Amino acid sequence: MVETFNSLMMGFAVAFEPRVFMYAVAGCVIGTLVGMLPGLGPLAGISLLLPATFGLDPIIAIVLLAGVYYGAMYGGSTTSILMRIPGEAASVMTCVDGYAMTQNGRAGPALAIAAIGSFFAGTVGVIGLMLMAPTLASFALRFGPPEYTALLLMGLFVLAYMSGGSMLKTLAMAIFGLLLGMIGIDVMTGYTRFSFGLVELGDGVGIVPVAVGLFGISEILIAAGQAEPPKVQRPKLRELIPSREEFRLSVGPIIRGSLLGFAIGIIPGSAHVISSFVSYGVERRLSKHPERFGKGAIEGVAGPESANNSAATGAFVPMLALGIPTGPVTAVMIAAIMVHGILPGPMLIEQQPELFWGFVASMYVGNLVLLILNLPMVGLFVNLLRIPYAYLYPCILAFCILGGYSVSNSVTDVWIMLGMGAIGYLLRKFSFDLAPVALGLVLGPMLELSLRQSLALSGGTYAIFLQRPIALTMFVLALLLLALALKPVMFKSKDWRSNVGLEDPPGS
Amino acid sequence: MAESSEPPQQEVSSSLKSDRVSGLVLLVLAGWIVWLNSEFPLGTLADPGPGYVPLLLALGLGVIGLLVAFFGGDSEPLRAIRWTEARRAVVILIACAVLTFALERIGYRLSVFAFLVFFLGVVERKKPVPMLLVSAGFSIVSFHVVAVMLGVPLPRGPWGF
Repeated sequence: MVETFNSLMMGFAVAFEPRVFMYAVAGCVIGTLVGMLPGLGPLAGISLLLPATFGLDPIIAIVLLAGVYYGAMYGGSTTSILMRIPGEAASVMTCVDGYAMTQNGRAGPALAIAAIGSFFAGTVGVIGLMLMAPTLASFALRFGPPEYTALLLMGLFVLAYMSGGSMLKTLAMAIFGLLLGMIGIDVMTGYTRFSFGLVELGDGVGIVPVAVGLFGISEILIAAGQAEPPKVQRPKLRELIPSREEFRLSVGPIIRGSLLGFAIGIIPGSAHVISSFVSYGVERRLSKHPERFGKGAIEGVAGPESANNSAATGAFVPMLALGIPTGPVTAVMIAAIMVHGILPGPMLIEQQPELFWGFVASMYVGNLVLLILNLPMVGLFVNLLRIPYAYLYPCILAFCILGGYSVSNSVTDVWIMLGMGAIGYLLRKFSFDLAPVALGLVLGPMLELSLRQSLALSGGTYAIFLQRPIALTMFVLALLLLALALKPVMFKSKDWRSNVGLEDPPGS
Repeated sequence: MAESSEPPQQEVSSSLKSDRVSGLVLLVLAGWIVWLNSEFPLGTLADPGPGYVPLLLALGLGVIGLLVAFFGGDSEPLRAIRWTEARRAVVILIACAVLTFALERIGYRLSVFAFLVFFLGVVERKKPVPMLLVSAGFSIVSFHVVAVMLGVPLPRGPWGF
């Protein structure tokens, strides 16, 4: 415990270095703006900023990108509450009661509770990250290729089970992503696979063009031709203070949402999206007056907002401790760290303590910055929403193309991005969840390498997965989840999705 | 197309289901990958070759495609999927493709300027002055921020612009 405290103090020393602090604030502001803009979620925002981080110190790069990530979580709630437009997918549930509160003249308290809940949840998440990641990392030092294979497969099954949509369609998308990850030179034999003669594909398909295409471009294609959004309201500072009753009603949902969100955040999938749906379902179920939900219940804002922020932090646990992304955002962030020659995983905390603890401390700082910045400046930020969408979307498209190009100065990446945009558009029309594609792309090469190494280790028998206790446990859990997920498909019964009101896939 | 009236209920219920189509497309995709993968050695179990894992994945995709199609009887009818935005989506994709083609040929600023003029002037029919101001402003400012301030190289084209 003393060691953790000392390490955290070292982290704060890093986080308060003027340059690091400045980038943390910049990340939070950019993230808030990105979260507010329809068509630019946290993933697209991080992907677009990625090339700009190549020349930065690795600590600053990850602090900046993390600031964008949780800043976008905050920003997404503003448009949901004021305009019923979720700036990003995790804010969908906030729209329901948040906008109803706006219509009832309580926009200010809704924004305040969302910000306070997000701050509390962010802090709970960081404490969880601080305590869990080192423990998990030291446990993961026992992992060999069979354990990693089992872990990655279990992660994919958890992703499928926890996904918002059909489990089969989610698995199909994960496999599609894994297959995209097979493109390029096979590291074990040197064969170039599925490159269609394009030299640029030798290094494989990058996460940025795929992520920006799937989530940024396809969002704009889906939104094309939609009606103009409603006029935005600008609450004044004194209108932000919630009543005593609103505070009282929010305490429970904020605490529950924070804990629930962190637990779900560690699990692979669209964790921050799922967590907000689950939290909303839980709060509605626990409420003595569930009929208030949908008509402006503050619990319907407090719970989901806390949950999605806590989940955003929880997602960093497996990323930093195991080197495994749980979603597309952490996948892009792993790419950002790897550009600097740093491999996230069990050795990261030992070998790069400044990076890990500096990152943790900067998240505390970032959460505080967001709380201080966002509430008083909400009136200023919503001015951005006054820009007509007709002006906004061509600029976002140009930004996407700029981001796709600048990762490796290659037009091929832009073509891939446009192709993925078109594919993403069609997949969304057919109700497929897109997050597993991006996740599969990153996990593909890891899974292939660990599976082939395991088979080579065992002399060609799959029994190696049954002889190693950790791997066996993970496989049993994976099979259990598969059985649980297949039950409603086979017997047409209800599963957890219908219990929390999650019927449509969360898109992205 | 988009404004066409709803098809009669009986017709809808007997029409092709979206998941059936999705499942079959996944099956075809899996078959295509198996065919592409046939040029890579599979190796042995003790030493799996470059074609081993892609084959496993393609087979998995095929099986899931079949299951999606098989259990897709209750899914949304294909005709119920609305394509109201499809025409504009195609225009957006074509414009993006033209911008991508032009990017390294005429440089970032000129190609993005032309791209924005097309969208704001032709597609959105905005007034000339704001349209030109936004197009020129965005292309110049974004170039300055990304290429000059952040040091990310962007194409300049034959005229150094």
